[in-house]
Amino acid sequence: METIHVPRPSPKKAMNPDRPVNALLLAQISHLQHAESRLPLRYRSEVYIHAIKTEGEAAEYIREVTEAIHQAHADAAKQRAKRAPKRGLEIAAAAEPPKRKSTSKGKTKSSKRAKK
Amino acid sequence: MPPGLDSLKHIVVLMMENRSFDHMLGSLTAVNPKIDGITDQLSNPDTTGALVKPQPLADFQGQLDPDPDHHFPAVDLQIFGGDTSPNRVANMQGFVKSFFNQQRDVGHSQKIMYYFKQSDLPVLTKLALEFAVFNRWFASIPGPTICNRAFAHYGTSFGRVDMDPFDVIEPIKSIYTRLISATPKHTAKVYYYDTTSSTMEVVNLLQNQPELFGTYKQFLSDCDKNLLPEYSFVEPNYNDHTTDSGEEVASDQHPDHDVQAGECLIAEVYMRIRKNPKLWPNTALLVLYDEHGGIYDHVVPPACTPDRFTAPANSTGTGMEFKFDRLGVRVPAILISPWIPANTVVDRVFDHASIPATVAKFFQVAAPYSPRETSADVFIEPNVQPVDPNRNLLSLATMRDDCPVFDV
Repeated sequence: METIHVPRPSPKKAMNPDRPVNALLLAQISHLQHAESRLPLRYRSEVYIHAIKTEGEAAEYIREVTEAIHQAHADAAKQRAKRAPKRGLEIAAAAEPPKRKSTSKGKTKSSKRAKK
Repeated sequence: MPPGLDSLKHIVVLMMENRSFDHMLGSLTAVNPKIDGITDQLSNPDTTGALVKPQPLADFQGQLDPDPDHHFPAVDLQIFGGDTSPNRVANMQGFVKSFFNQQRDVGHSQKIMYYFKQSDLPVLTKLALEFAVFNRWFASIPGPTICNRAFAHYGTSFGRVDMDPFDVIEPIKSIYTRLISATPKHTAKVYYYDTTSSTMEVVNLLQNQPELFGTYKQFLSDCDKNLLPEYSFVEPNYNDHTTDSGEEVASDQHPDHDVQAGECLIAEVYMRIRKNPKLWPNTALLVLYDEHGGIYDHVVPPACTPDRFTAPANSTGTGMEFKFDRLGVRVPAILISPWIPANTVVDRVFDHASIPATVAKFFQVAAPYSPRETSADVFIEPNVQPVDPNRNLLSLATMRDDCPVFDV
């Protein structure tokens, strides 16, 4: 079977991070700022989005906020996971049959008595 | 059951940016007259009243600068030629006038009529000729990217015709949420290029469900490792940037990004599926564009079922309300599978609401759908009896072994 050649653009010619930011990227930036404003303060960038003029600057901001959103969710998931076993133990403790509780108390008392 | 539908396990959608059907695929009428592209009869008046014909002079970069206007009022001008009277008729005569508004240069404004020669786009044109090309796939709204992409995710834009953030209004849910919360559960993922390109669905999906997202690298790896979800939506690289692995040229084909970079992306997505014998027989790939980007197309967008939302007159920029009862300008769309006969041309009407409609019906995910999604046609038939052979595009009794190979 014949293989069809796919011409690649020359990055030197095609690549231009200094290109003025287009309307689509401006909209994406504004949506990311909307999302960023809902993040806890420690995840927020200090970028003034109205000063973003080029595609390269836009790319930097887009990466920073996208990663921050992922990080905020990942940290929340970690916290959830940390809480989960603790809550499991609490539930387990609450589920202990009262009989066992009194037995253990009894044992302690008896051991204390025995020491005396 | 048709074997193509029986074996289908994965649907992949790759949505590119801002190119019209005539601009990208119009040249193919000369090769296959069933494809509704460029003919000698087509023209648009410029601001001097001279008729400008489409010409095969489109360039990969540097020609459509500034980015042709494709916000709602500009598209209204492009479709209706500037007629704002109550009984106006769409005529597709306002493209040159609209582009003129941006630079006030008659010569420059004529470039909006340029289209690519077949040889300029070896990937897109080859796929269009080898699989199923849609003659009537329209953007969902005569407007810009964000609201059009919303239709691909939700089957509605919740009343928006612009680029502003939108709120998801219950009970409508994204196709991804519907799939992953269905019983039995299905799998779905949005693959953005990387975090520096990110997604165009930030405010609802990325902000609230970042776990839905993967990167393009992960998409490639998921293809290789047979880990592709049942439904994948792939986004191109939206900006030029540098990473640890080098320079990443934008591949979305949005003017003024390089069109050849997008060709490489399309070829790579296709080949990654094509070369995996465990994936190729059971995957359908849809390659399409979100909207026309202000670039000339000759087919009048048809009326459609109104959505349950209305964009008020003060939000459209035209002074007229919009009931989502007319589709946007036509875009290139190609369905790829080894079960599709070569040279298939589809004349039924589709728009981006057809994407969640098809995915939901194929994987049998329950309603609620938006009215637009409910009325949208499907490009893959649900695999339940009886399957209408006249509608089923994956119609071959045996899988093709002559599908094209690209050197990516």
